[in-house]
Amino acid sequence: MSLLAIEGVSRRFGGLLAVNDVSFTVEAGEIVSVIGPNGAGKSTLFKLIAGFLRPTAGRILLDGNRIDGLRPHAIAARGLVRTFQETTVFREMSALENVVVAHHLRRRGSILTELLATPGVRSEQANFVADAREILARLGLAGLEDERARNLPHGHLRALGIAMALAVRPRVVLLDEPFAGMNSEETARAVEIVRGIRAGGVTVVLVEHDMGAVMRISDRIIVLNFGTLIASGPPEAIQQDETVIDAYLGRADEIATL
Amino acid sequence: MRRVGASAGFALFAAVMLLVVPLLLAGQGYWLTVLTTAALLAFGSLGVWLTFSIGRINIAQGAFALIGGYVVAILGTRYDVSFWLSLPLAVLVAMAVATLVGWPILRLRGVYFAMITLSLTEVASLAFLNGGSFTAGASGITSIPRPTLLSSSLSIYLASALLLLIGIVVAWRFAASPAGAVFRSLRQGEDLAASLGINVAHYRLLAFVVSSGMGGAAGAMFAAFQQNIFPTSYTVNDSVNFMLYCFLGGLQSVAGPVVGAFLLVIAFQLLGAIQRFQALLYGVFMIAAMLFLPNGLMSLPQILAARRERDGAGQPR
Amino acid sequence: MAQILIDGCVLSASYALIALGITLIFSIMKLLNFAHGELFMIGAFMVYYVYGAWHLPFAVGLVVAALVPALIGAGFEKFLFRRVMRIATREENTMLLAVGTAILLDNVALFLFGEEQHGVPETVSGVLQIGGGFLPYQRLVVVIMSLALIALLLGFVQFSRPGRAMRALAQDRDAALLMGVDVDRTSMLGFAIGAGLAGLAGGLLVTIQGVNAGIGVDISIKAFIMIMIGGAGVVSGALLGALVLGFAESIGYSALPGSETYLLIFVALVLFLIVRPQGIMGHPWG
Repeated sequence: MSLLAIEGVSRRFGGLLAVNDVSFTVEAGEIVSVIGPNGAGKSTLFKLIAGFLRPTAGRILLDGNRIDGLRPHAIAARGLVRTFQETTVFREMSALENVVVAHHLRRRGSILTELLATPGVRSEQANFVADAREILARLGLAGLEDERARNLPHGHLRALGIAMALAVRPRVVLLDEPFAGMNSEETARAVEIVRGIRAGGVTVVLVEHDMGAVMRISDRIIVLNFGTLIASGPPEAIQQDETVIDAYLGRADEIATL
Repeated sequence: MRRVGASAGFALFAAVMLLVVPLLLAGQGYWLTVLTTAALLAFGSLGVWLTFSIGRINIAQGAFALIGGYVVAILGTRYDVSFWLSLPLAVLVAMAVATLVGWPILRLRGVYFAMITLSLTEVASLAFLNGGSFTAGASGITSIPRPTLLSSSLSIYLASALLLLIGIVVAWRFAASPAGAVFRSLRQGEDLAASLGINVAHYRLLAFVVSSGMGGAAGAMFAAFQQNIFPTSYTVNDSVNFMLYCFLGGLQSVAGPVVGAFLLVIAFQLLGAIQRFQALLYGVFMIAAMLFLPNGLMSLPQILAARRERDGAGQPR
Repeated sequence: MAQILIDGCVLSASYALIALGITLIFSIMKLLNFAHGELFMIGAFMVYYVYGAWHLPFAVGLVVAALVPALIGAGFEKFLFRRVMRIATREENTMLLAVGTAILLDNVALFLFGEEQHGVPETVSGVLQIGGGFLPYQRLVVVIMSLALIALLLGFVQFSRPGRAMRALAQDRDAALLMGVDVDRTSMLGFAIGAGLAGLAGGLLVTIQGVNAGIGVDISIKAFIMIMIGGAGVVSGALLGALVLGFAESIGYSALPGSETYLLIFVALVLFLIVRPQGIMGHPWG
């Protein structure tokens, strides 16, 4: 059984069909990238999977259980977490606090025990702090724990966002344009981070525009155009796929007939 | 180091409130009443502070104070219920209303939430005005019996001071606990929080309900001490004042609303000599605060420290 | 029935001036002008003094009723809001400042004008009978002038250069900046016009309702209600809100005592906002 299954998912906004009958699966341990020209419906698809939007048709299954229609926090509780492009982190908190907050789903206490600061809560918090430090170090953010998130440079912000997603200990992580705005050096580091995530046993689905990174890192690539899935397969196949090339470049004869 | 400083500060404050003030002002009914008022308003403001921490501008605290006051008033005058029972009931009723109303409206943010909570204060006022014989309408409810054990200004003051201290501890514990970190995360990114598994709706409601419970308690105490309540006892102005105290003191820590409330209440009384200009100066003061101390009075030490550092550093790098 | 329609029209027309004013300020500066009701009140007092007490022509009174609040509004924008918006770390700061300006104006007014209720003599006398209802000519004047001012404002915003700058600023601040719009000056003008509209509404309504220094808060709340109903920052929303509130009042007042009417209006509003928080014409938020 596939870890993540998208079955005939569509999403309509009034007259616009942003996602049109898209189906694909993601197996455990894969790195799958979703690409497509601007407006192809990639971010809408992400929002549908993570529960920020409801599909108008179709089903989404995680480990064989339906998650479409569930709210984001419930989906996170089942093991699927996403990162964001804009609000990547909690800006006013330190990097450490950010990652500690992300341990939320792993907390055992209730609000009351938290208020009373019982020994159980306190030792759990200490464990989470240690765990957070370890994740930060793994992502190259050691030494920046007490830095206010909004003071961090762009590349580190994205790494912090990923650190927070990992702190949840998810099965699948959805990365929203993890390589955006990076130079080649930062991209290389980010590629290593994403590979490290997979090595840690977390399946990765990402949306991205940086073709170089996508080709380097993906096991499989899903291509969307105008909300429809037009191709799917390993990087070599996608690079030579006619429909994909057309989608990105436009068709010469189409222009001639206008 | 900072936590030790804060605990020491709290201990000092508690000592002043519970020991020094009674010693100095034992016979001064007027000033004891002023400090009682300040303490209870500070308590209500701590609630509003909690809603600020989840990123909501809450202009409804007056409504809950009104609800709390009327519960005590009606139970006390008509059913002979002891204050010590009607106080927790007032808190429960306020929290129940907050749950009912808060659930749908907490989806809203910014000015929209502000406007709808402002409307709630009006609704409460108008509802009690038009409540027929149940709420006694415009004439309000008077001759609310004083609570047993609390007959003197001093005992009333001590009860209020104690309530405030409890409120500070509760708010402080919230802020320092993981739940408090969740609250702060909501203010900075609700979607991000949800994607990390945080049940945003539940936590928002928790903050609002606790806040409203505190408002209800403050209103209940006031009603018992002033021994009356009217539909106009809490208006939009009062709801705004709660917000003001938080802002003036600063939103970063629980000390803010307390400092803000005490400062403004006491200053207001001191300005009483300049009766005519009292409220006018109030408005001027607020504007000045926004212009020069946007992060509140509690940010003053930081600002001064930063300035000293800048001056001490000498040449720019 | 006819009376309800007549009263509804009168109220809606004058309330529309209030709603448009606060909407203009909100759309340009994303700021809720808490002092809007106070500016209305000041406009009313201007007409009271100029026309009622000093017996100058009503038109002069109206001009003053527009100018004084406009100057106050411009001053607020230039010396207060501009600075706080630049240095504010949280969005609540500007709202608190707005509240502060309202408190300031409330108390200045109380200090200058005292507590009593004041009225002004009619500018025209006589009553028109329409259908089954009565329309005093004074109210007809208010309606006509309100509608004229609304048309004038809409035309200004639509066709004039500063008006278009305001619309640009309202739609996309960054793009407007890039296009060379003088943000500071446009904001100041927008605030001034919004405030002036409030003042004019006050100056017109004082002929019907009189004025006292305490009505600021109530009028501000009405303004909020209108933009909550219609949608904040949208002109059509402001007009719709005014229409709904005006008629809700006239229908309500014909059947119930004043405060009960408003209780119903508020409850209906809260329920409505739960279903549609952005108002009828507003953009989704939150």
